[in-house]
Amino acid sequence: MSLKLLLRKRNVEKKENREQTARRGKPFEPAEPLKLDTDQLHQYVQLERYGLIAANPKHWEGHPDIRSVYRTAMERIDQTFAVVPEGFVSLPQTVHDYPGCPEQDIETQPFLLACCAVTNAQFQKFVDTGGYGDLNLWAKDIWPHLIDFKDQTGAAGPRFWRNGRHDKNLADHPVTGICYYEAAAYARWAGFRLPDEAEWQMAASWRIRSSAHVLRRYPWGDALDTDRCNIWPSGVGGTVPVDSYPLGGAPNGALQLIGNVWEWTASDFMPVDENGKPIVGDMLMKSIRGGAFDTYFACQATSYFRTGLPCLVRAHNVGFRCALDVRQSRQQ
Amino acid sequence: MGSSISTIAGTSCLICNTLNTVEAIYCRECSAPMGIVYDTIAQQRDPHIVSVVGESNVGKTVYLGFLLDMLSQCAGNFEAIPKGAYSIDLQQNVISHMANRRFPPKTPMEPNQWHWAYYQVRKRTRNAKWIDLIMPDMAGDSLAAEMAAPDTFNAIRNLLYKSSGTLMLIDAALAANGSARPDFFAMKVLSYIDSIGGGKRDERIKTPTAFVLCKSDYCPECFDDPRQFAKANLNRLWNLCESRFENIEFFACSAVGALAYATAGEDGGDCVRPIPLHTALQGILEPFEWVIRQI
Repeated sequence: MSLKLLLRKRNVEKKENREQTARRGKPFEPAEPLKLDTDQLHQYVQLERYGLIAANPKHWEGHPDIRSVYRTAMERIDQTFAVVPEGFVSLPQTVHDYPGCPEQDIETQPFLLACCAVTNAQFQKFVDTGGYGDLNLWAKDIWPHLIDFKDQTGAAGPRFWRNGRHDKNLADHPVTGICYYEAAAYARWAGFRLPDEAEWQMAASWRIRSSAHVLRRYPWGDALDTDRCNIWPSGVGGTVPVDSYPLGGAPNGALQLIGNVWEWTASDFMPVDENGKPIVGDMLMKSIRGGAFDTYFACQATSYFRTGLPCLVRAHNVGFRCALDVRQSRQQ
Repeated sequence: MGSSISTIAGTSCLICNTLNTVEAIYCRECSAPMGIVYDTIAQQRDPHIVSVVGESNVGKTVYLGFLLDMLSQCAGNFEAIPKGAYSIDLQQNVISHMANRRFPPKTPMEPNQWHWAYYQVRKRTRNAKWIDLIMPDMAGDSLAAEMAAPDTFNAIRNLLYKSSGTLMLIDAALAANGSARPDFFAMKVLSYIDSIGGGKRDERIKTPTAFVLCKSDYCPECFDDPRQFAKANLNRLWNLCESRFENIEFFACSAVGALAYATAGEDGGDCVRPIPLHTALQGILEPFEWVIRQI
């Protein structure tokens, strides 16, 4: 190869590298590994597996610190979860929502919903403690797919991580690049569950049983306000920390139910067309709710807009938040 | 770059330079709407033509509609002003359909029925100059017909000849599934552009060409590295570009967040109808911005 050609090739390679770096934005900074407490009960607190402690304190009977740890766990649940009162929701059954379309009315029981979506830093704890290898956390039918749940470098973890670590710059951003099963496994690991679609809608629309039968279009009211949520018209263009937009919270303090990332729910998404025939996807679809930073149409980021995603898709704009039964949080 | 002249005898078409009478609504030769010609004359600036090409059903209309809508909302680094009410038809058509979970209807083959957009665009920096852009929503079937039998659609031939930049849309989902069709179609378009340019064998084509890998939500690796994806899945195209095209770049884009299928038509008849469940725009502006920077 002539010197001229060699230099040209090198210049092209340099240009390619520069362009790739520019495209990827800030350099990736791997998060530090967590130093875990040797005592398992304290480790549970450190890992924020409060649901497990709340559900079964008797399991730790005899542990000298169980009372204080239990109190801490309950306090943390109080601080990070919000009560959603009983209510009712109407879910349109057709894919094209129109006045008079068939709807399913569902009564929802009171429950606790996490105030924020699960962050990268929280999900890191699940990854670091071998969550992807613990088969008890995963539905049996998904076991053959576990080898596909890899990050950019082939390590077990969300799609956009590297070497099993999240980007330190995005520690408090919602975890994305996870499929429905990864979201469900995390929730189970932490002692929580995913909310179902009706519960999610109840939390966002705040449709309490009353004579007024008021349904909120957004958690904060009926008018779109791009200063209260992160959707495409807000002009942010990416995810933001999960505690941003405090003015966009629901009356109970749950933040970002609208925007930032779509949220996986535990419900299947199986709408029908105008003729009552099923709408089908490439695989089983799970309901996702709330819209994301790249949701272009404001009408698709409301408390009642229904959509779904194939359950194995690990999208850049879908995260999740946990829920807990009130009964479980009251167990002594 | 296109230019048109208005005299007492008539007005020459911006696209094919044919002289038309002052009453003409469409060019008698290439069927381009004369309204756009009169508007460019009124602006007293020669507009640039940016062609959006690709196979039928690749998503040209949706891409162009969202692009124009985003530009008119001053998204990204550019701002845009539509010139003429007809320029808004395309984005209105796309937005009103997609917001209601419907794809816009297929673009008709005849150029006089396409949506033509005339926009003034500029970078959002102080003292940035306005660039006049003509962007027609070409039908993929017309492009295929023109390539198969040149001079079937004069408008396409002239548009591609005069284009200051090209956005070539390629179905990445199909390519990732192992189909060679997107590769062959893109090669055909490039060969066609090469032939109408009349370039010599040792002269590489300089027109900026952005390859937009559409439907990339189906193959997320596209977003990680579109060049690598093209090298691996569109190898024939890659090699042709290396040898004949000087100013190219690859991009990934997607507009639909999730797709589902209805098993019956809206009239109840048997057919499979794709339904865009929600939108999630990714990579719409980047290829356009790259082309404009090169012009």
